[in-house]
Amino acid sequence: MISRRAVLYCQLISLFTVLFSGDVSAHGGVVEEDDLCVIKVNYLRAHFKVYQPGALGHEQYCEDLPMATESVFVMEYLHDSLSEMPIDFRIIRDVTGKGRFARMEDIDLIDDIDSATVFYRAPVVEPDIYLVNYQFTEEGDFIGIVSARHPDTGKVYAAVFPFEVGFTGLGYWPFFIGMLMLIQFQYLFMSGRLKRWFGKEVAVAACFVLGLLLSPVSFAENLVVTYTTSDGDPEINKMHDWIVHIENDDGLEIEDAIVDVEGGMPEHNHGLPTKPLITAELGGGDYKLEGMRFHMSGYWEIIVSITTDNGSSKVTIPLQL
Amino acid sequence: MSFGLLKIAAALAALGLFVSACDRGASRAPEWTEAEVTTLKSLWLESLPDLPDDPSNAVANNAIAAEFGRKLFLDARLSANGGVSCSTCHQVARRFTDGLRKARALGLSDRNTPSIVGSQYSPWQYWDGRRDSQWAQALAPLENAHEHGTSRAQVVDTVFGDTDYRMTYEALFGPLQNPAGSSNVELNIAFANIGKSIAAFERTIMPTTSRFDEYVAALVRGNADAQREILNADEKAGLRLFISKANCTQCHNGPLLTNHEFHNTGVLNFPGDVPDKARAGGVREVFGSEFNCRSIYSDDSAGHCPELDFARTGIELIGATKTPSLRNLEHTAPFMHKGQLPSIADVLDHYNKAPDAMIGHNEAEPLGLNTAELQQLEAFLTTLTAPVSELGVEL
Repeated sequence: MISRRAVLYCQLISLFTVLFSGDVSAHGGVVEEDDLCVIKVNYLRAHFKVYQPGALGHEQYCEDLPMATESVFVMEYLHDSLSEMPIDFRIIRDVTGKGRFARMEDIDLIDDIDSATVFYRAPVVEPDIYLVNYQFTEEGDFIGIVSARHPDTGKVYAAVFPFEVGFTGLGYWPFFIGMLMLIQFQYLFMSGRLKRWFGKEVAVAACFVLGLLLSPVSFAENLVVTYTTSDGDPEINKMHDWIVHIENDDGLEIEDAIVDVEGGMPEHNHGLPTKPLITAELGGGDYKLEGMRFHMSGYWEIIVSITTDNGSSKVTIPLQL
Repeated sequence: MSFGLLKIAAALAALGLFVSACDRGASRAPEWTEAEVTTLKSLWLESLPDLPDDPSNAVANNAIAAEFGRKLFLDARLSANGGVSCSTCHQVARRFTDGLRKARALGLSDRNTPSIVGSQYSPWQYWDGRRDSQWAQALAPLENAHEHGTSRAQVVDTVFGDTDYRMTYEALFGPLQNPAGSSNVELNIAFANIGKSIAAFERTIMPTTSRFDEYVAALVRGNADAQREILNADEKAGLRLFISKANCTQCHNGPLLTNHEFHNTGVLNFPGDVPDKARAGGVREVFGSEFNCRSIYSDDSAGHCPELDFARTGIELIGATKTPSLRNLEHTAPFMHKGQLPSIADVLDHYNKAPDAMIGHNEAEPLGLNTAELQQLEAFLTTLTAPVSELGVEL
């Protein structure tokens, strides 16, 4: 029997296959991958999206923009280096004659790039996210050029993305193709056809191996984590301390462990409002945790990561406040 | 509506009257469950804890400093053109806001003017929490080119040159040197002391009783008649939504109706601006602020700064702004960090839809409330108003 978990992993794997199968509609430096629009500045990647908030509210676009109006370009870094690199952003009218197929080589051939430029933002290091707001005054073909300079090597990486303004783009058809592929894969797997083609062992083993790669692996012993506070249940909006007690399932107190505490509200996709720290080991498996604060009622999870000579493990403490 | 439907509606209405008439005789189920009463009491002004100490400000609770601070708060000499005081934007009639989308003084500032009411309870000041005390906050607008546009030397010089101010200052803090001959540290100490006096005044701007608080008081006393008179049916229905399926109390909790924390709720950018990174930038700035809790200008000899020690950083703070108090909401429009939403109805509509955020991640989920429910919520939110005359501030 194939467990439900195996099926889930297979679905995940196929989803990832779709996500990262590559440049279905690749051109320039912006690629639609599933529903994620990604700009590739050489090997550096960022989630790329454009809004026309004044006219079209929260609707987001990957490249082609429906109207000549206020447009906000957003790059959310998927690679930490980008947050340390000076990045510049240029929009030019398409004077290359290459349209969708314009590349950096074509940009380099432009004699007077400044006269073609409609927007330019000089290099600046933006540590969190890169944002540009440009008001298009005319429809037409444009090319965006993003370059980032590596702070150590001085090497400049660039992305070039041709786009149209005043044209409703193709939208999310690659996303739908991805979904169709996923459904097809699932069907082949569930119907057993995959097994027939490749043999049962290969199909199941492939799923499990890939599934294992995706799952958090821990070889440490089973640990039990409890906590106490000085005033009973944690009070909302009040910073307070915990004593965290760690023992294994034989009741042996765990000492000299490296303990990290994270947490958040899984239903709200956010973490704790503070960054609590273990500030002292009190002996007998007790650790002092300072800086705890909950700022909302609801379901919280506190994740305690414990590293000992025997390995690492994570213990989740559920909390309903 | 067809005639047939009208008849059915009339019959149902008659039945409703009959049922409610019968109901009056029977013992009624309590209006609120025990858990709901606990929640209501947690939002009640009576539950507001004592004002927390501010060890970083030695004159925080000093009445002379508060009176000095009140004068400074109103003094337009503390500006480049002699026309801007703190009260230019923090207007008492508007509950210390200004009715504008973005604050306007010498120039147009970056964000909406937040109220001062209740800010003495917050560990962080500003929409992005870029200051960690009221006194450090009070100093920043003085030197901001779009606000007061003055300098610390000019501010200290104004106090130095005014006999009354100088005497008060020296009674509080000791001799004041002529800023022209002061070292940078001496000048900063005097500048910080002026901020601490303004903060001593701002600490006295406490929230006062609203109709909602009167309602909870009646509920606690078990006065059913008073409860009926204080809030009407729509307001009560709105209150019920507020503490239940509208999810408001997840962030707007406690007696100030704020958790003082930072959340991304996916509000659109202000036209012409890039979306506001908000807390992601603010947390970086507060660590670098020369007047923060760890600075030599803090009066806390123990150097205890738990808020900075345990402050969260990281990309999940992108676009997260501080939860504002909802007290006096109906007098503090327009709303959100750049005044993007003109009315309470617009804010409720925004949270009802919970659209994707332009940057970061919108923490809110769509609520699925209908128009009637949104109107009830709006009705409730207007019960959080306290009369200006009771703010206890004479300006």
